[in-house]
Amino acid sequence: MSMALQAWLTSLVKGNIMFLIDCPYCKESRDQNEFSPAGEAFIARPQNPEALSDEEWADYVFYRTNHKGDHWEQWVHTAGCRKYFLVKRSTISHEVIQVSTFGEINSENAS
Amino acid sequence: MRIDNHKSNFIDYSQPLSFIFNNKSYKGYQGDSLASALIANNVRFFARSFKYGRKRGLMGAGVEEPNALVSLEIGGRYTPNMKATEVILYDGLSAVSSSNPNSFDFRAMIKPLHRFMPAGFYYKTFIKQKVWSLVEDSLRSLSGFSKAPSEVDEDVYDHVFQHTEILVVGGGVSGITAALEILNHSKTARVILVDERENLGGELLSEFSTDESSFVWHEDNVNKLLKFNNEENSRLKILTYATAYAWYDHNYIEVLQTHASGQSTQRESVQSARKVLHKIRAKEVILATGAHERPMLFETNDLANIMLSQSVRRYLEEFGVISGRKVILYGNNDSIYSTAVSLNNNSINCQVIDVRAPGGESEIVLKAKDSGIDILQGYAIRKANGTSSIKGVEISKVELQPKPPHWQSQWRLTKDLQTLECDLLATSGGFNPVVHLDCHCGGKTYFDEYSQSFLPQKNRKNRKVCGAVNSVGFWRDAILDAKNKAQQSLESMGEVKKASIQPLNKECSNYYKVDRFFTPIEILNKPKVFIDMQNDVTTLDVALAIREGYQSIEHIKRYTAMGFGTDQGKTGNINGIAVAAEFLDVPMSEVGTTTFRPAYTGVDFGAMAGREVGDFFDPQRYTTIHDSHVESGAEFELVGQWYRPWFYPKDGEDIHQAVNRECKSVRNSLGMMDASTLGKIDVQGKDAREFLSRVYTNAWMKLAPGSCRYGLMCNEKGMIIDDGVSACINDHHFIMTTTTGGAASVYSTLEMWLQTEWSDLDVHLNSVTDQFSTVAVVGPNARKLMEILCQDVDFNKESFKFMQWRPGRVCGVNARIMRISFSGELAYEINVEANYGRFIWDQVALAGKPWKITPYGTESMHVLRAEKGYIIVGQDTDGSMTPMDVNMNWILAKDKPFSYIGRRSFSIAALNSSDRLQLVGLLTKDAQVVLPEGAHIISNQGISIGYVTSSYYSSALGRSIALAQLKGGLSMMSETVLVKIVQEKQGLKEIPCEVSGSVFYDVKGEKVDGNE
Repeated sequence: MSMALQAWLTSLVKGNIMFLIDCPYCKESRDQNEFSPAGEAFIARPQNPEALSDEEWADYVFYRTNHKGDHWEQWVHTAGCRKYFLVKRSTISHEVIQVSTFGEINSENAS
Repeated sequence: MRIDNHKSNFIDYSQPLSFIFNNKSYKGYQGDSLASALIANNVRFFARSFKYGRKRGLMGAGVEEPNALVSLEIGGRYTPNMKATEVILYDGLSAVSSSNPNSFDFRAMIKPLHRFMPAGFYYKTFIKQKVWSLVEDSLRSLSGFSKAPSEVDEDVYDHVFQHTEILVVGGGVSGITAALEILNHSKTARVILVDERENLGGELLSEFSTDESSFVWHEDNVNKLLKFNNEENSRLKILTYATAYAWYDHNYIEVLQTHASGQSTQRESVQSARKVLHKIRAKEVILATGAHERPMLFETNDLANIMLSQSVRRYLEEFGVISGRKVILYGNNDSIYSTAVSLNNNSINCQVIDVRAPGGESEIVLKAKDSGIDILQGYAIRKANGTSSIKGVEISKVELQPKPPHWQSQWRLTKDLQTLECDLLATSGGFNPVVHLDCHCGGKTYFDEYSQSFLPQKNRKNRKVCGAVNSVGFWRDAILDAKNKAQQSLESMGEVKKASIQPLNKECSNYYKVDRFFTPIEILNKPKVFIDMQNDVTTLDVALAIREGYQSIEHIKRYTAMGFGTDQGKTGNINGIAVAAEFLDVPMSEVGTTTFRPAYTGVDFGAMAGREVGDFFDPQRYTTIHDSHVESGAEFELVGQWYRPWFYPKDGEDIHQAVNRECKSVRNSLGMMDASTLGKIDVQGKDAREFLSRVYTNAWMKLAPGSCRYGLMCNEKGMIIDDGVSACINDHHFIMTTTTGGAASVYSTLEMWLQTEWSDLDVHLNSVTDQFSTVAVVGPNARKLMEILCQDVDFNKESFKFMQWRPGRVCGVNARIMRISFSGELAYEINVEANYGRFIWDQVALAGKPWKITPYGTESMHVLRAEKGYIIVGQDTDGSMTPMDVNMNWILAKDKPFSYIGRRSFSIAALNSSDRLQLVGLLTKDAQVVLPEGAHIISNQGISIGYVTSSYYSSALGRSIALAQLKGGLSMMSETVLVKIVQEKQGLKEIPCEVSGSVFYDVKGEKVDGNE
């Protein structure tokens, strides 16, 4: 299936979501069309996967917080600079509260 | 009929237009809507209702209209389900009713049975009784409105992206005022003003037509706006005949604008858009969307010529038409008096019935009394008389019970009955602020007892509401409200330091003194008290829904279908909530509203698609060799966005004949293929080798420069996501190839690992898919051909081995020649700079003539690789298959220090279960039967235990071959399984097949060095 058709069908099912996202690299507020979501932020790949139990590994691979409220997630500027970065977004109002590069914010200093 | 000597700001009587409705010709004037022109021509019935097929007339004058659905034009210009009230008349217009009120209708014929068809009737009768399949076809043919279009839309539609500081939705008094206030107090702010009508002003000139100063204000302020609009580099954009139908996140609003003339774009020399979809991003939104009047409820309130009071007034004042000579006005507020005065001024006989008891009359009521209009206060209409069209009403006196029981209404109707005659009834039950848009994106409503309406929530970021949507009904109050809100917007944008606010008093939020919802139980308990005209929902349907346990208004809505359809319950929904509140015995605020979702009004699919149709639907990618394929008469196949040659038919060959010929040439002599579409990623950096080793399952540390290696890529779940060959250029430089369809996602995933997890690795990626052209030379004679084309490379099989690459000059062009094979034959892939692709292709074709070199397409490529059991990721795997499932344990490195992507998952118990789907070969017992791809393998119990993923006829083997995913298949070698297929004319058939290994041809792999 073509990507355009897929995107169109997705928008029919999920409704149109149209964020404005400030790319921290391009320093511009751009339409969501240019970006792709890349999952919850601060889920580090375990240093030694082989040492983990099946449960611990499954937690890393499958389980997400599905948080209601302000939520840090990864986005990539697919049709722009192709950089991955961090977005703090309210999953209730969809307001973008903060954007950051990976260097500035990490799981320790994120609020 | 048309009023004689009517003066209108909107109708141009010097420009008569002719049009056709339901196959009859009529005349109208420039400025008419289809609805007003039909009223002028005394057309009374517009359509039949959805469920019962009842004849219906007009009720409204704008987008709120539930009944008058028509389809416009025919053929490629056919547009279904337009409201006659929103179609602006043009010369030559042709329209038909969505369901013709003048022709036979089965639904109407079964009239005596209607009382046995309440909400849930079809479900209970047919679905629960399990006979739905028998009646579905005939019932479906009865349902729906207009017929769906059957031809390609011949019009063009445009998308326009707009950016603005302020978007004002609604061009009535409040909208005009707000826009001007912003423009006057800011030097930079851009403003877009949107209104669904053709002219600005909203209800002003009909609602307050008796107030001369309203005309003066209108002319003055519209002129001011136009002055701004006509300036050079104007900051103001006025979009009329344009409806803001959806509000999405971050103030993104979509507006559909209709080409005002409505003329066929085909008749004009330049094709201009019939409709334009404006995609507006605004910093601040000011909603001045107004309010819709709601009707009163009584028995058979759906007869033709029962309209909304506001609509009657608008038809009269704006269009100079009226559909009756003896009018009764009925309601619970002062709006009906304003209409009465308008009618009286035009010498039309009218009478007012007000459910409110006498006392505390406002100015307009006294004015109506003074004009000698017959007024009955404290009376209610029980029933409308007439068969299809109203002939009169039955009224009773209203009494207030001293102590209302709980939340139920306190009215009781006395037993005395009076009958009054009329041919037009105009009702008003109060006003529903148009909160829809505000609610699309999270806005909430609250029930305001004072104005008896659901109002938009008070404070929302970057949004203001003013005028009637904020329950400010009187135009002079609305001006103040709009100025205040515009000032607040200016303040929040920093354009003014402090908003200047002129306070409004409380009374202005119920200017018409709307009384409580009039829902006496004597009326609600009667049959045929319609709430939702479009879906034929009655008060008894709501009562039934509640009796059957549906308490939430969202459930009641879905059970009764109240508020569905193209009008989305604009007139009926709030009344339905009041009825539900009455039956549930709870306050309105506790019932709440249903959720308002986009779109507010119907949107053409054509407008959504815009110019992105046909060739522009999706980007199309072509290789630089494409023209040659076209010249050779190739049939093309879409792979991702690439147009790849599928097969090259010769002299009337069909696909099977062509593929058999192509395969034979490759196996016996020489073939050539355009492999340019494969994804290519340039991987450079000190840690390039380490990087490949982390993302591929096999070992890369010892791959020498000049060599290539096949790699399998998995995700962390352990599932195969891609495969391809990577060539080592030097220790810090690799060229990775990916599948054609997976190129973009693989590139993106690799970037993700580098940027988010492994920023310490010195690796840079670049997509070079489009930068290289690849011509594959395949077949036992490939070496002989290469030796002719390229002199500076030693093609001896000992010095240039399988899975190696060499730099060289092919016909004078710098090339990387890779000895890799996707067919099992001796093969070379010549990679050159993309612009040389066509040249190399032609040179190969020319030099290959002695060996009858044959170009082959993707279909032959599939057959050749299937004969060798090479998988295609995405065809033989589906994202739930591990390397073990496809019998490729050999590619899993055991001793890599870094736990590569996916490795940890391989040891999870579930992925090692013996009854997982596993890739095997299938050989049909009857060698000539080719299984259809997707066919299921069934167990003795008839349960699916797998399915066919690839299936072809192999000319090399003289039989059919198939690859399949089979539960525990790898331990079922040589067993017989059954594949269930549907054969033409023979129906279901079970085909016995033998489970085999997945390599069918040259099992020992002896052909890869050629036949020397």
